[in-house]
Amino acid sequence: MPNFDTGHIFLTTLAPIKNGGFTNKAGIRVSYRQQVRIILSMLPTALQSPATQQMDYNSPFARNTRNHLCRMFVIDDVVYNGRPKVVPVIGDDPLTTTHVDSLGNAYLMFNADIDAVTEDGEALHQTRTPAQQDAARDSYARKLWETMQGELEEIYSNCVGFDGVDSADKFAAYIAKCQVKTTMPFNDYWLPGEAKLHQLPVGRITKMIKWPLYAAIFGLIALIAKCLLGWLNILPKLEGWLSYIYPGWIFIVGLILTILAVIYAYKLALSNGEKPMSAGKYGDLPSVLKSLYLQQNFADFAVDAQGKTDKQLHTAFGKFLANHKPEQKMSPTQHPGVISINAKGGIVKETGK
Amino acid sequence: MTRELNLDDIQGNVTRAYGKFSFPFARYFFFHIRSPAAGRQFLAEVRKEVTTAARWNDTDNIKPATTMNVALSFLGMVKLRVSTKTLQAFPPEFIEGMRARAFVLGDRDTAKVEKDHDHSWCDHWDKIWRENRLPFTLGTDTDVHIWVSINSQSESAIEWSKPHPNFEKQTQLLRDLCKKVPKCPLTGKPGVELMTTNGQSGKDEYQSANAVFEKHGDVVVPSPNEHFGLADGIGDPVFEGQYPPDVEREKVRGRGKWMSADRGYEGWEPIATGEFILGHPDESQELPPATLPPEFMRNGTFMAYRKLHENVTTFKKVVSEQAKDYAKINKVPQEQAEEILKAKMVGRWSDGVPLSKYPTYDSWIALQTKMGFSAADFKANPMKAAFAQLAYMKTSDAVDFKYGDDMKGTKCPTTSHLRRVNTRDYLDPTNDVDGDNPNATTQLNKRRRIMRRGLPYGANDFKEKTDDTEQGVAMMLLGASLFRQFEFIQQQWIQYGMDFHAGNNTCPLLGDHTNHDRHTIAVEPKSGGCPFTMQLGKEKNFVDVRGGEYFFIPSMTSLRMMAMGTVDPT
Repeated sequence: MPNFDTGHIFLTTLAPIKNGGFTNKAGIRVSYRQQVRIILSMLPTALQSPATQQMDYNSPFARNTRNHLCRMFVIDDVVYNGRPKVVPVIGDDPLTTTHVDSLGNAYLMFNADIDAVTEDGEALHQTRTPAQQDAARDSYARKLWETMQGELEEIYSNCVGFDGVDSADKFAAYIAKCQVKTTMPFNDYWLPGEAKLHQLPVGRITKMIKWPLYAAIFGLIALIAKCLLGWLNILPKLEGWLSYIYPGWIFIVGLILTILAVIYAYKLALSNGEKPMSAGKYGDLPSVLKSLYLQQNFADFAVDAQGKTDKQLHTAFGKFLANHKPEQKMSPTQHPGVISINAKGGIVKETGK
Repeated sequence: MTRELNLDDIQGNVTRAYGKFSFPFARYFFFHIRSPAAGRQFLAEVRKEVTTAARWNDTDNIKPATTMNVALSFLGMVKLRVSTKTLQAFPPEFIEGMRARAFVLGDRDTAKVEKDHDHSWCDHWDKIWRENRLPFTLGTDTDVHIWVSINSQSESAIEWSKPHPNFEKQTQLLRDLCKKVPKCPLTGKPGVELMTTNGQSGKDEYQSANAVFEKHGDVVVPSPNEHFGLADGIGDPVFEGQYPPDVEREKVRGRGKWMSADRGYEGWEPIATGEFILGHPDESQELPPATLPPEFMRNGTFMAYRKLHENVTTFKKVVSEQAKDYAKINKVPQEQAEEILKAKMVGRWSDGVPLSKYPTYDSWIALQTKMGFSAADFKANPMKAAFAQLAYMKTSDAVDFKYGDDMKGTKCPTTSHLRRVNTRDYLDPTNDVDGDNPNATTQLNKRRRIMRRGLPYGANDFKEKTDDTEQGVAMMLLGASLFRQFEFIQQQWIQYGMDFHAGNNTCPLLGDHTNHDRHTIAVEPKSGGCPFTMQLGKEKNFVDVRGGEYFFIPSMTSLRMMAMGTVDPT
């Protein structure tokens, strides 16, 4: 499965956390893992609940208009699922312990669902080459450094290989090094009818496998029949076109073709799965925020317009369009990281106003 | 083959809504246990009086004049010294109790945070509930431990508006029982005390409840209404084993689950027993989680007891004001506009006729007239009309409908009370906004059903009810999981609108609308009508919670084990 899907990059990164600990500014010895967790626990979330709305700070990730959501957490170790199952009696001795995998160090997981763009407000693209995907990732990483350098340094200074990262470009390179392939993207910004899923041509694949398989089976049966009749010494003399049938060859060719068809079908299924799904026309974050902004204002407008005459309605709608500018994506709009336009700092005013 | 239940082991209030079995009066008592021994003796005595779910007949199990049932709060079982191993496997929400779940239930203003809300948020609760489960305590001497209900039939067919004399007799039995059980050896106070802090006065001995009686001219008639004048308690779920097969066949329509047209009765089948009674397979084809020993929970269930106060003045005022706008826009008389708005809020016309089947005012009036409970019928012979209405509410016509053909809610609004508390087939993922889906199933609904028990409360004095007079519904919501069923419905469907494409809007009747107060009524564009958004008012809700608690309704076996002190989890 791809990192790129539906016009978004599903960025997944793992940064190894340093082993051991250090003495912090307060003179208390803490492990690097503990320190990362302390910083993460103090990192403000978005202003999504009455409690968080009373905080002075919004999430640092609300300072950009690229990430739809993101998570940071510490992976201490791989989970031990218990001893692998063995067949009783014939398996290895359950009294003898077996090797248990573990990680050499903890990892800081950072993943984000971001618009695969290099400019704020750029529309989503249906396809992106690997190089273009990398450019979008680097651009996002640089954006993060520009908007939340302090927080990033606090967090990543506990990670291996971060020493010397002191610029946006170096941070982008660091994130690139930490990136792992995504296997589980998700999306829900499609308008009805917009989602074009890549259907596997099951009928065609079945036909492709079916016919050589039939031939192989026919060949095999004929071969067995021939051997049987030969062994019983009642093999009739085949004449005419029948004498040209070589069951063994039919079986072998049929079998080879079947195997090739199965391999092809397998590869087709995989490549079909890797094809990125189409991008929603309004699936970029600025469009999502603008639509939230318009939706809330339009609900108020609709209620206020109840019972108005056609003329009054016409005038009021003209005013609505003039005030809220549906055609202007970047402003006025809802601010990222807030629950509604009625929240404190909920609106990004029109530029220049 | 339907599941055969041991009805003698299940308490009667689980399978029967007594109000619908001609028990129009009820008293709800609450007790505090001081000494475990006294608590056990109290239960042993109450057990002898408990009405079970056994079917009534004319020979060995005659329908009683009054019924009695009993349930315990978590702290009640702690006080009875039920073993820790048994107690620790109770569900977290039950252990915490209803008060601690106020944010989940929307009983506290979810737009406020703890420090701005502190203790004042439940100042309007009845004293008994205000003092129950005080925060940051591990039990105080004001905690509610035992719930006992007595329901009563009428004195006679003639004196039907008076309870049976047995009602008071059984009440006296409970009072005497508190005197009879041993005193607390430590304090010398009663070992089990009947709590007399009910009601807004904080002085009532019990929570009284009774069906609403209505006056038509000089004639008083029984009604299925609550105090807003809306018929209530029609579509309770039906589960396997609840009814004998011949009754089930009729009852299950519209009340069970609908999974496929070729199953059950034209698609309707009873819901799995385990959704409502513990120890039986549920709709996930598993046994519900249970504590040890297994027989402790089997045939028992959970109950949320909630006292819901109705602000009658506010409700009437808002409906009347909004109806003015509606009448003007849609050019209908004020009275008709009020009826339409009430129906569009509830999902049923005020007499219980479902909007899904009779979506227009005219079709409703036509049905009323046909069935004999129109306004004219009530004028001519009120008693006859009242019974015609009650009879209609029991028919499958009142409940047998689905929403797959009304995805936009132009007949019955998607955010009406009815569609929120029981979504039926609305959430079937294969439903199309623009099309009818006759094969829509109740797949995402059948794990979120609740059984409603209880009765309205408030004086039957025919005086004008206001926001300040005491009236409402003493509500009991039963199910195998309070978290998955009651709390989910309350949080996601009553106090939120996302599943109905209505954002933060809440239930127009029960919801907290102090933050979001809109209720949108959609119309079919081809009809030429105009959609209407009601504004329910942010100052006051129509329904306020006045307190309550979560209880466990034990089986007769479990009750006996607790009474004997022989709950053995090993």
